[in-house]
Amino acid sequence: MDSHDANTDRECLTLESKLSEIARVPPWLESLAALHSIPSRTQFAMDLCLEEVLSNIIRHGYGGESSHEIVIRYQNHRNGFFTFVVEDHAPLFNPLTVPCPPVPRALEDISGGGQGIRLLKQSADAIEHEPMSNGNRLTISFVAPGSSLAAPCVSQS
Amino acid sequence: MQISTEELEGGVTRVVLDGRLDIAGSQAIDLKMNVIAGTKKAVLVDMQKVSFIGSMGLRTLVAPAQAIRGRGGKMVLFGPTEMVESVLKSSAIDTLIPIHHDFQGAVAALR
Repeated sequence: MDSHDANTDRECLTLESKLSEIARVPPWLESLAALHSIPSRTQFAMDLCLEEVLSNIIRHGYGGESSHEIVIRYQNHRNGFFTFVVEDHAPLFNPLTVPCPPVPRALEDISGGGQGIRLLKQSADAIEHEPMSNGNRLTISFVAPGSSLAAPCVSQS
Repeated sequence: MQISTEELEGGVTRVVLDGRLDIAGSQAIDLKMNVIAGTKKAVLVDMQKVSFIGSMGLRTLVAPAQAIRGRGGKMVLFGPTEMVESVLKSSAIDTLIPIHHDFQGAVAALR
């Protein structure tokens, strides 16, 4: 997207690869929501998706090492369409290829993780993974309820 | 995330959660939830003031529920907001840990 596109507002947040840094995201989302009139339901979905993505990058992608960065770029394309682009320098990993765990039929069947991937896939309107030469780029898109626009056709499994 | 408990009539323990059940919030209450799971057999988790829940928050609910059930007890969730409940339903937790929006009904389910 052309950085001089008058119809797109951009914001950027850079985090260190520490779980404690994820706490910086909700207040950032609050400010974005106020600035760009993001509906609360959409904001909640954004909050959820970013929590899951960032947690995975920090814990698994970077293996808990705190000396790395994660960059989140927000784009408000107006007309009720919002995008987050999350970039890291972790080993190549596409969360879209991770199968969701089977839906548990009994409380005892729930073990381990996997719910984060399910929540990510169900909460975002579109997700696209691009491998980069030195990391990953994940684009997560949201369409505000009632918007006449649809998210672009991107790969989501 | 803040956690407090209240003993109700009939041996029911009301656990009130206030805040975000995100990674930090879950870590803040995991220990106390585990203690409750190991000592109480009828637990009502009051989620009216839970503003957010992620996958770590789901674990913070599931693990105690499993432990309580393993000891022959019951746990229910009371009053989640619409958006929090949507997360519980997305992960099918609502089919495994009952959700109630009526307080008396939630208490009755534990007796």
